[in-house]
Parts: sequence; structure tokens; C-alpha cells
Amino acid sequence: MPFPDLRWIEGFRDRVNADPEMAVIGDWFTVPIALTFGATRYVLTLERGQIAGIAHPPRLHDRAAFGFRAPHHVWHRFIGPNPPPLYHDFFAMLMRVPEFVLEGDSLIAMQHARALHRMMNLMQGSEGANA
Amino acid sequence: MPDFEPIVGRYLHLNEGGRDYRIYLEEAGQGIPLLCLHTAAGDSRQYRHLLCDPEVTGRFRVIAFDLPWHGRSNPPDGWWLERYRLTTQSYVAMVRSVWRALGLERPVVLGCSMGGAVVLQIAASHQDELRGIVGLESAAFAPGRDNKLLWHPAINGGEMVACYTYGLNAPDSPEAARRENWWYYAQSGPGVYQGDVHFYSVDWDGRAEIARIDSSRCRVSLLTGEYDYSCTPEMTQAAADAIPGCRFTVMKGIGHFPMVENYPLLRSYLLPELERMVG
Repeated sequence: MPFPDLRWIEGFRDRVNADPEMAVIGDWFTVPIALTFGATRYVLTLERGQIAGIAHPPRLHDRAAFGFRAPHHVWHRFIGPNPPPLYHDFFAMLMRVPEFVLEGDSLIAMQHARALHRMMNLMQGSEGANA
Repeated sequence: MPDFEPIVGRYLHLNEGGRDYRIYLEEAGQGIPLLCLHTAAGDSRQYRHLLCDPEVTGRFRVIAFDLPWHGRSNPPDGWWLERYRLTTQSYVAMVRSVWRALGLERPVVLGCSMGGAVVLQIAASHQDELRGIVGLESAAFAPGRDNKLLWHPAINGGEMVACYTYGLNAPDSPEAARRENWWYYAQSGPGVYQGDVHFYSVDWDGRAEIARIDSSRCRVSLLTGEYDYSCTPEMTQAAADAIPGCRFTVMKGIGHFPMVENYPLLRSYLLPELERMVG
């Protein structure tokens, strides 16, 4: 079973789309983002702060402006309960965990720094959750 | 009766390096001067809990000031013609200038992050004029925080630096406190964080200097949060190892901004160190 499965990603989508903070800050968060967990890759299409589409596996036409890529064990530390120091925030991992990589255009990523940060923080604590 | 806090804010005029400055500072309490230095792109508001702690202000005159370009301290005249870049030399000079202007005798200087770095230099250079230093998140060498997207015309700089630093808090620190520091960072001026990081991650290397600190003359207490990934506990340990007699404690459940993100928890670590400064 590849991690994470589509059901988990859909649960993450639902958390993002129901988030009251994202409803405040997400108006300009319209961008396709790749998330790669080991060999498992998704492209999420963000539209005004909502995950409007999930491509899995992404095909040639499923473009992404930027994305995050890491091996499974790194993602598990980030999204598991009580993330350890250095794995508790994506900026921390970008600085201190070489296996966690921002791929694509970092300028576009940082243009969305606030909403992107919120979205990734909503991933935390969700390891065992499917909804 | 109005529900006032004990903090009093004032403006101080001084000349440093031939330039006039209008410096904002806040203070509360009486006793041993405790001069507090904020973080990169922060300001004196970060010390509001310490300034309101009667166990501290009962024995210390707590003073927190905004560096020029920060908070309510304006940049100097002609600021629009220069790129703001803090250096070890200019930072120490400004702290000394405030210290002298206020006539502080043998203060304790407490700083966090870049303030925690510069207190090491101040101790190395001026230890006979100090009672001691308290370094929060102190490193003698801290590369890696600078990047060119911190000040870029296509990026909202306030939100960028606020998010870039938000994860430096421990995940279990109270959310309202973490968000408060986010708000302070979002209010920093364009390029100010990058200019501060120039000191912290580019210019600053105190690894040789700190060997000059004699902790029998100037007490040294270092406290670092376990979730700090900018100044990790290992980085502070390296500084502590170079200063015989230094006390170093790793603060569990705290990140890079202890006085803002979780003052009650910081307090349990800080009060014994302040007691040591009194003794």
C-alpha cells in the first residue's frame, strides 16, 4: 500500500477546505503544488485556498509550480504525533533536514508563504486520520 | 481605576557614531539594571511579560529598547539612501550607547537570538563593567538564516519573515503567544530582518572571542529551547564549552522565542539564573 493513500490525501483536502483561517488568508492561494512521499506523488490544484483537484498519479499535463519531496520516514516524523525538533515545521526541515526538498520555483512558493505554511501545518497530527 | 500595566515607555535621544538616534525603550521595576535585547526584526514588545513579572521587577530595573529601524525607534536620518545591515561592531556600539546614556552600573544584559549572540561579544569585550549576561538561544556562530527572498519585491516581506520564523516556536507553546510573535514580525520594516540576519548569520563569529570571557568576573547563563532549529541546543553547547563556569540549560518544550512564546515556562528556567546574577 503506497503511503499516503488517496483516502488520506482526500482527508487532508477536507481539512484544508474546511479551515476557517484559510478562508481568511487564502484568496490568492491559486497554484498547483506537488507533494512527493518517497515514490508516491500527488499534484494538488489550489484554487482560492481550496484544494480543488488531486492528480494521482500525476500525468504529463499535471503541472506543478513547486512542491515538497521527502522520503517516507521524514514525512512520518512531520505528520506524526509530537513531531521531534527539526521535523516540526517545513521551514525547519528545509534548513536542517537535507532529505526534505523544495522543488520547483521557490519564489512562487514564498509568494504563498502564509497560506502554504497554514496548509502544511494542517497536515500535522493527521498521520492516522483519514478524515 | 484604569487597568494599567507597570510598563512605562519613553524616548531617548542619543548620538552614536556621529548620527543622532531617537530610541524607544520600556522599563519597569527597581534594582539591578537588566537590559533586554530583542530578536532580529523584533522589538521591545517581546519582553512585555518579563516587564510585568513582579518577582523580577521587585529586584531588577528591567529595560527593553528597540534598536534603530525596529519597533518605535526610527532609522537615522538619510535611511533611504542606505541598505540596513547590522554588524557585530554596530550592534555592540548601540547597546553600549544606550547603556551609557541611561547610566547603568554593572547591568545584567539579557538577549535572545541575535541578542543572545551579541551578549557573548559584550561579555568578551566589557566583562568588568557587567554583573553578568543571560543568553537566550545563544550561539557563537550561526550561519544559514540569510536568503535573498526575505526582501524581494514580488513577496510580501512581512508575511514572509513572520512565517519563516513561526516554526521556530515550539509546537506546544500556546497558539496565541506564537501568533503574537508572528504579528510582531509581520510589522518589521522592509529588509530589516535581512539586515539583522546579516549580523546573525554572516558577520557574527564569536568562537574565538568568547574564550576571553572570565565567568568569575561576569556570570554567564545560557538557556536554549529544544525546538530551536536556528540556534540548536548543540550550537549553544559549543559556546558553553568554550566558557569555563558558564551555566547552560536546555529548555524542554520551548523554541527560539521563549519570552514571547511561553513566558510561564521560560520563567521556571530564568528565575534561578537571575537569582544567580543577584548573588
